[in-house]
Amino acid sequence: MSLARLYRSLRRHAPLVWNFVDKDLKGRYVGSTAGFFWSLVNPLLSLATYTFVFNFVLQSRWSDVQPASQVVLVMYLGIVTWGCHAEILTRSTGTLVENGNLIRKVVFPSEILPAFISLSALVNLLIGMAFVGLGVLFLGYISPLADPTPPGWVPAPGERGFESLRFGLSLCSVPLLLALHVCFSAGLGYLIATLNLLVRDVGHFSSALITIWMFGTPIFYPESMVRERGYGWVVDLNPMAWLVDAYRGAILFGHWPEPLVLAKLALVALACLLLGTRFFFKAQHRFADFL
Amino acid sequence: MSTQHGAGSAGRERSSAIYAEDLSKCYRIYRKPIHRLWDVLLNSRSYEEFWAVRNVYLEIPHGSTVGIIGENGAGKSSLLKLLTGITTPTTGRVEVQGRIASLLELGAGFHPEFTGRENIRLNCAILGMTPEETAERFQRIVDFSELGDFINRPVKTYSSGMYVRLGFSVAATVDPDILIIDEALSVGDEHFRGKCTNRLNEIREQGKTVVFVSHDMGAVKSMCKWVVLMDQGRILEQGTAEQVADTYLKRAKARGNERLSMVHRGKSEYPRWGSGEVEVTHFEMLDEHRSPTHMVQTGRPYSIRMMWKAHRECANPVFGVGLYRTDGTYLNGSNHQWRQQPIELQRVVPGDEGEVEIFVERMPLNHGQYYLTLFLYDHSKASPTAIDHREHVLTFEVLDVDRAQHGLIQVPSRWTLARRGPSGTSELESQR
Repeated sequence: MSLARLYRSLRRHAPLVWNFVDKDLKGRYVGSTAGFFWSLVNPLLSLATYTFVFNFVLQSRWSDVQPASQVVLVMYLGIVTWGCHAEILTRSTGTLVENGNLIRKVVFPSEILPAFISLSALVNLLIGMAFVGLGVLFLGYISPLADPTPPGWVPAPGERGFESLRFGLSLCSVPLLLALHVCFSAGLGYLIATLNLLVRDVGHFSSALITIWMFGTPIFYPESMVRERGYGWVVDLNPMAWLVDAYRGAILFGHWPEPLVLAKLALVALACLLLGTRFFFKAQHRFADFL
Repeated sequence: MSTQHGAGSAGRERSSAIYAEDLSKCYRIYRKPIHRLWDVLLNSRSYEEFWAVRNVYLEIPHGSTVGIIGENGAGKSSLLKLLTGITTPTTGRVEVQGRIASLLELGAGFHPEFTGRENIRLNCAILGMTPEETAERFQRIVDFSELGDFINRPVKTYSSGMYVRLGFSVAATVDPDILIIDEALSVGDEHFRGKCTNRLNEIREQGKTVVFVSHDMGAVKSMCKWVVLMDQGRILEQGTAEQVADTYLKRAKARGNERLSMVHRGKSEYPRWGSGEVEVTHFEMLDEHRSPTHMVQTGRPYSIRMMWKAHRECANPVFGVGLYRTDGTYLNGSNHQWRQQPIELQRVVPGDEGEVEIFVERMPLNHGQYYLTLFLYDHSKASPTAIDHREHVLTFEVLDVDRAQHGLIQVPSRWTLARRGPSGTSELESQR
């Protein structure tokens, strides 16, 4: 089975995978002058951009019952979650072609490539989440936010009232969410890496698709907003929306993920990983010929 | 460690380092990129086949040094990729016993953005070494490569010589059971090449298997006792170096003649000038059996013959020939007048014709490509003027299978060696 094969290979080539991850992270954080700093600033920059576009240009409001600093944290967590996903997909797309020199000329276990990309992206995500954690610590405990709910406020369908930021036992569910997240993204990564090797146009196509997908995920707007307007199916069918929501609940507000959502996520993530790796391994023995 | 690539179940345990059975590789050439996808998904057959390797049976015993030769495109590299397991065979199977390290092409297996150090780690990891094993060898690899500070720079900044140094250092230091080397060693300076040869000899003495691939018979012969000759994806012949060298030479001659005469069949792209009173109508090189050739062996006789015809009167035409190496180095020039017993042709009139022939007893040049330039000049004037000057009138190749001497030319020489000691006195002598 493809998953067992992947597992054995990753175990066997663990030093090699670590080599790639190490090099990758060092390249990002040691190579540039403000390396570590960028992984925090980049999401902040996109946060500022999208806040400007949504709030000022499109005149949309996140919520009447959440203070702005809390919304910033909610959005930031969504951005880093999406960033991890997009990074895995984008980098996986070209990785086989980029490492063609290795695949064509030495016996190279190419299945480690999407894996190392996923691990590297995961580290980034963890850094982003740690930053979010600091935010929760500050806004939830050091200087708690006041409840801004106006008197007589009626929630829209699916909208939640004010909740204060807090650490809860639900943080224990984060590793599971991370695992499902990486399985899901990496599975798609294996699929897209193989596709792009077979048909190079996939690269162009996928970057457009990723952008569309991003706007179809409630990162810069609350989920309730799409539900209100009858586009609830966009969220219901989008595993990234489930993930973003689950992360937000677990990390910011101390909510455990709903078992049904977890089950759906697990199903989709494992199916993706299974199909992606299967397709990858099916074509792998001919990668050197295709390059 | 034993690995097996390809279809079929593991046969009985073999004692050979590499065993290949009915090995073929077919590359599929797709008309459109999308056909690749259909092929993988639906096994559709919209492609043309190209068989790079066909029905190869090969058994390389442990501890042997085997050379694989053949022209470019003979399937050597494709065969190596099959043996190393980089590509999978279309038919047949390969059994390999032991760890293979290969030095396939310049910079193969290096990540251009990684530094030398990082690439060493990467390569060791690719070869399946644990971090401890890598750490143990790391300094030896760095020392062997003699790259100095460059070891800390990305390999994309390396010169081709540096690539080879790093590649060889890794491949030779990881203690492979089987070492495969593909031409790469021809790059790099004399000093490093010497080091490589020493290291290779050590590896061979340790009883490791070495497979050496080249299109240069001389290089293979100096390294290997057993040689495999490939042509168009098939093994044409295998045997001792002497046996195969003979076949190789005959084929090279035939092929070289064909190729080089093709080059000159069309209108020459090289300059030709002169007043044209006398014209050289035919120019050829003859081997020892007096048949036209473009291929001469070092140390063998050859001659250059030309036919001429006078169109107008000319006072004192002198025929000369210049010999150049393909890079333009002027090696030799002579004519029939500047000799101890010169030939004075004197006045020629329209209708006169004849031949000129230059005989050379032994070809002094070593292996390589050379060309001739014709100088037909009128020496009756104060300074000779061109009648028919033709650059690159003929290209030829010199083949040296014995490789008895190195460098540009063969110097006929005799060696003597004397030894005096308590056990007695001996004088040894070597001809040629």
